[in-house]
Amino acid sequence: MLLALTDKRTGLANGFLLLALVAASLSSMSLGTISVAPLDVLGSLLGKADPMTDFVVKELRGSRILAGLLSGAALAVAGCLMQTLARNRLATPGIIGIDNAATAFAVASVVGIGLSLAPSAMALAGAAAATSLAFGLAGANGTRGYRFIVAGIGIGAIAGAATQVMLSRVAIDAANAAYPWTVGSLNARSGHSVVILSIGLVLAAILLAIINRGLNTLQFSDAVAIALGTRLRAIRILGLGLSVLLTGLAVSVCGPVGLVALLAPELARTLCRPGKVPLLASGLAGATFMVLADLLGRTLFSPLEIPVGIITAIVGSPYLLWILLKPSNRSLT
Amino acid sequence: MNLTETATLAADNITLAHRKFTVAKNLSVTLPPGKVTAIVGPNGCGKSTLLNGLARIHAPDTGTVLLDGKDIHVLPSKEVARKLALLPQDNTAPEGLTVADLVRFGRQPHQGWMKQWSRKDQQAFDHAVTAADVIELQDRALDTLSGGQRQRAWIAMAVAQETPLLLLDEPTSALDLGHQIEVFELIRQLAAQGKTVAMVVHDLASACRYADHMVAMKAGKVIMEGPPGEIVSPELVHTLYGVHCDLLEDPATGSPLLVNMRRERSDHARCQ
Repeated sequence: MLLALTDKRTGLANGFLLLALVAASLSSMSLGTISVAPLDVLGSLLGKADPMTDFVVKELRGSRILAGLLSGAALAVAGCLMQTLARNRLATPGIIGIDNAATAFAVASVVGIGLSLAPSAMALAGAAAATSLAFGLAGANGTRGYRFIVAGIGIGAIAGAATQVMLSRVAIDAANAAYPWTVGSLNARSGHSVVILSIGLVLAAILLAIINRGLNTLQFSDAVAIALGTRLRAIRILGLGLSVLLTGLAVSVCGPVGLVALLAPELARTLCRPGKVPLLASGLAGATFMVLADLLGRTLFSPLEIPVGIITAIVGSPYLLWILLKPSNRSLT
Repeated sequence: MNLTETATLAADNITLAHRKFTVAKNLSVTLPPGKVTAIVGPNGCGKSTLLNGLARIHAPDTGTVLLDGKDIHVLPSKEVARKLALLPQDNTAPEGLTVADLVRFGRQPHQGWMKQWSRKDQQAFDHAVTAADVIELQDRALDTLSGGQRQRAWIAMAVAQETPLLLLDEPTSALDLGHQIEVFELIRQLAAQGKTVAMVVHDLASACRYADHMVAMKAGKVIMEGPPGEIVSPELVHTLYGVHCDLLEDPATGSPLLVNMRRERSDHARCQ
């Protein structure tokens, strides 16, 4: 990722996205049912505000924004990785059903079915299970080609149905507790899951910096990548593993906000110079999307709150249609 | 460029299969160093499979491919990439990638994850764009180039890899006559600078003209091997492609020329 910064256009894009993220985060800390003046937000961050402002900015909003930021970045990087490995822009964890499976497992743990594991672990298990299943059904082609995507869509649908069945079978209180999981919301987060997610992100960042060059060669055919000295199998396994890890951990924080994984890499690809996999830019864009979507959800119909997953779906679906209908999309499809 | 390094590449009794279908059985081929080897044969004879086997893209089921006498699949991938460059048939590139971007990828085997673009990388880059004559095209996106220009850009990438060995899979397919000759002459130049080249060639006439060494394959077997002037005969052409022809010697180069190609043996006599 350091390498990306040597590139002028990519460097500018990353700088721009970072600024956007900071601006979105600060606005999100300032706006809400109780408005805090931007200067007071800065004051509070610097530790020079009254306890009431501090409570609103840091306790109420800060931790929520941090959760959104981290999960948005994780989902977007996971999406960018999966798209690169599958060489297909549609192949994001959300579409392949990994989000849904992770949600189903997490809901199972919330409503008390199955093992009494923490939601993080359950979501991760669900993500891994869905991916292995999609792999198995796709056969020899691995993540390549449409079989993987079609198999994934099927698995996602089954997982979604399973979630609904669980919600309709349990007591109303348990169903209510599990509900935020099913739409994608930052309301149900636990501090524990956020900590695990940030550890996962740091680990992923280090590994991705190491395999960055190899990942770039995956944009060519397998033969070219091998000829350039890329250890194809190792990079694929590691990349897929990281994508599953990041998706599972992010879902355990925010639920299935899958469209971020589709939108953010797309924006990153538009801004950055072609030829490099824009992982850093995707992460920044994903974080910004999530923070903005949450801000909109909290303020649009305040005091009523719209879950972040619904906002991203409303913004994201037309965008998805646009990608599909756009005449020139040769690069990854 | 003077290649200080040389490397040998050989297939030792390899069998190559696609899934369960055996494409080539018990092949042994050694590339003569510093020469251009052409692999020829009819469609489906396994010539591209052999090239991919030599380039470690396709792992053999039995036997070994030896790079400098060592099993190519055991050697570290990067080390192999510093000795052997490949121009595959499927060379799709990301949208908007420029020629310079592509050529820079050729330096990847020489870089580490912390090792940045060095002066040596820049020298290799400059040499490659000069050799392949793509200096003026550097900032153009690949998808805006003509077929011949694009092929030269890909060859520039392989040249930037600075490998003693260069393998090309049908480097002139889909190119018109002018571009074909351009690419073949570039390949000859690279061989003259000391590279060992192997290429799959569809067109027997071009193989006769531009190769020093010819490997003729049919149905997954090497049926004849040697300099084109020595091994190409009307019998060989008939065995490979099922057509009859006469041979002349090219007055300019001395390489064999195929003339009067026909399906039936009797045509020739009847016309007289």
